[in-house]
Amino acid sequence: MDIVESVKMAATTLTANKLRSSLTMLGIIIGNASVIAMVGIGQGAQRLASEQFESLGPNVLFILPGNQNAQRNRDLPRTLVLEDAQAIARQVPSVSEVAPQIQSQQSVVYRNKNTSTQIFGVTPEFLTVRSFDIAKGRFFSEQDIKSNNQVAVLGSDVVNKMFAGSDPIGERIRVRNLSFTVIGVMQPKGSFLGSNQDDAVYIPLTTMANRLRGRTSPYGLLVDFIAVSAKDTNSIGAAQFQIGNLLRLRHKITNQDDFTIRTQRDVLTIVGTITNGLTLMLAAIAGISLLVGGIGVMNIMLVSVTERTHEIGLRKAIGATEQDILIQFMIEAIILSAVGGAIGTLIGVGGVTLVSVVSPLKAGISPAAILVATGVSGGIGLFFGVVPARRAAKLDPIVALRSA
Amino acid sequence: MKNQFSDSSLKTEYSTATAVAKPVIIRLENIYKIYGSGETQVQALRDINLIIEEGEYCSIMGASGSGKSTAMNIIGCLDRPSSGHYYLDRVDVSSLADAELAKIRNKKLGFVFQQFHLLQQLSAVENVMLPMVYAGIPTQERRDRAVEALTKVGLANRLNNKPNQLSGGQQQRVAIARAIVNRPVVLLADEPTGALDSKTTQEVMDIFTELNASGITVVMVTHEPDVARQTKRIVWFRDGEVLHSHLTPEEIGHVAV
Repeated sequence: MDIVESVKMAATTLTANKLRSSLTMLGIIIGNASVIAMVGIGQGAQRLASEQFESLGPNVLFILPGNQNAQRNRDLPRTLVLEDAQAIARQVPSVSEVAPQIQSQQSVVYRNKNTSTQIFGVTPEFLTVRSFDIAKGRFFSEQDIKSNNQVAVLGSDVVNKMFAGSDPIGERIRVRNLSFTVIGVMQPKGSFLGSNQDDAVYIPLTTMANRLRGRTSPYGLLVDFIAVSAKDTNSIGAAQFQIGNLLRLRHKITNQDDFTIRTQRDVLTIVGTITNGLTLMLAAIAGISLLVGGIGVMNIMLVSVTERTHEIGLRKAIGATEQDILIQFMIEAIILSAVGGAIGTLIGVGGVTLVSVVSPLKAGISPAAILVATGVSGGIGLFFGVVPARRAAKLDPIVALRSA
Repeated sequence: MKNQFSDSSLKTEYSTATAVAKPVIIRLENIYKIYGSGETQVQALRDINLIIEEGEYCSIMGASGSGKSTAMNIIGCLDRPSSGHYYLDRVDVSSLADAELAKIRNKKLGFVFQQFHLLQQLSAVENVMLPMVYAGIPTQERRDRAVEALTKVGLANRLNNKPNQLSGGQQQRVAIARAIVNRPVVLLADEPTGALDSKTTQEVMDIFTELNASGITVVMVTHEPDVARQTKRIVWFRDGEVLHSHLTPEEIGHVAV
């Protein structure tokens, strides 16, 4: 009996038993689709996280007020002030630039349009420390800082929302009851950990502090955040150490720090741990689906061979050899695995594509996942399709016939 | 009583011997079939010796458990004897490997079962084509020969019906067509009318009679005297042994009673 004949015969049997065939394929489809989708989503999450941290700027350290490790002093006075930033810039040798910032959610008005956005009070160093670029116009200068100028640089999303194609440079926008002249537009930067960095308005730190939202403590003007760039990658550790010492001196700290310094690498590690955990969890879920799908395939195949022992006996009685029977079952299993694998892969790839269209997760299609999933589910299908059939094919025809 | 029949079988034996020697199709020599071992051992067949010649129309009778079906399965190469030799068409099949046996079943034997054993997912003509698939016969010839065989059993108008669309008698006729389509040297049937009513039984028996008349050797197992009486020679099994090997249809009534 040649292969073409066997394929035809297998196809006849499979189409004659549609329920059994589709149930078997269902297991393979579920296993395949889930592995491909889960691995794709996990990889997408990891890629998203690492891309975002690369976008933060090189050699960056962040100084945050308060101590996130401390449990008891939640009401610790916020003591990170503008003078701290200036002292760091002056006194820490391993630091190249310092960018303190104050931020506040505010309503921005242009003519009859109105949107709520994040207002950042920053200094000119912000651009270099955080690797932002100007698309149009200019960023503010030291002079703007010194004279509390009411000038603003807009994030690209704010421009799209408020100006709808017209040139915003030179236009005037209102924040609270202050009027700002737009002097520049930022290059789009994308979102960072779910917050849109392009939906923002940047104004001079001094203007922010003095006119919009300034809070002072006995130590000076409070800032929300200080971004610092170290001289180079090797001096990040030194910068962290020196800044810590300086701030402890300035804040007269003897035991518990009232600030937190994070390096980009710290943050990357934290996020990396989270996304690794996520990928692991997704892989585990996918593995379980593959297992469950495999058990489904195994069950159907085992039941099917038991049911079909009778058919095997009859085929042998009219002249089929053990090999003919084996080839027939193998081809049936291959067809089921291949068709199921293809459908499962399509669904998996479709799911991954859908996720990357509707969410910021650029979920990837992993050839390795497709290979492993198809291999495992196909292998299970083949194994449990052929091994019991082999046992049945070895029986004397009369034994197989009677076992119906 | 017993003597009387022994005499008659001797007589028949004698008459065959004097007739023109026909080729022997089936020769069983000292066949034993033993199930189990030790104390639970059962001898289903004990020292069976049987010769069936070309063109014979022979039925095997006996009570349940007499070993007639076991012998039939061995003759049909569906089962293997525990010991002894079985020559089919002068080939000792008791020593053949599995693949060679499959070839023998395919080419030299046609087997008809009590329960028809048709594949439900295939049409009548596809069922009949199946043995030729394993024989490696080209597709077109397969179909032609299957149609021819189905025509021979009177089912030319039921070619594309699935088994569940056919009556029991029709299904058995499809099974007969399947058994003869590879032109076997002997057509074997195990209780071919066991699942049929008396009317369809006669239809099926007519086909066997016709096939035998056309030269095919036919051997069937039956427990129905009415069926056996239509054959030309009856072999009687009892307790795993051949009690009579050459009863005539006329002698049946006495034994059955």
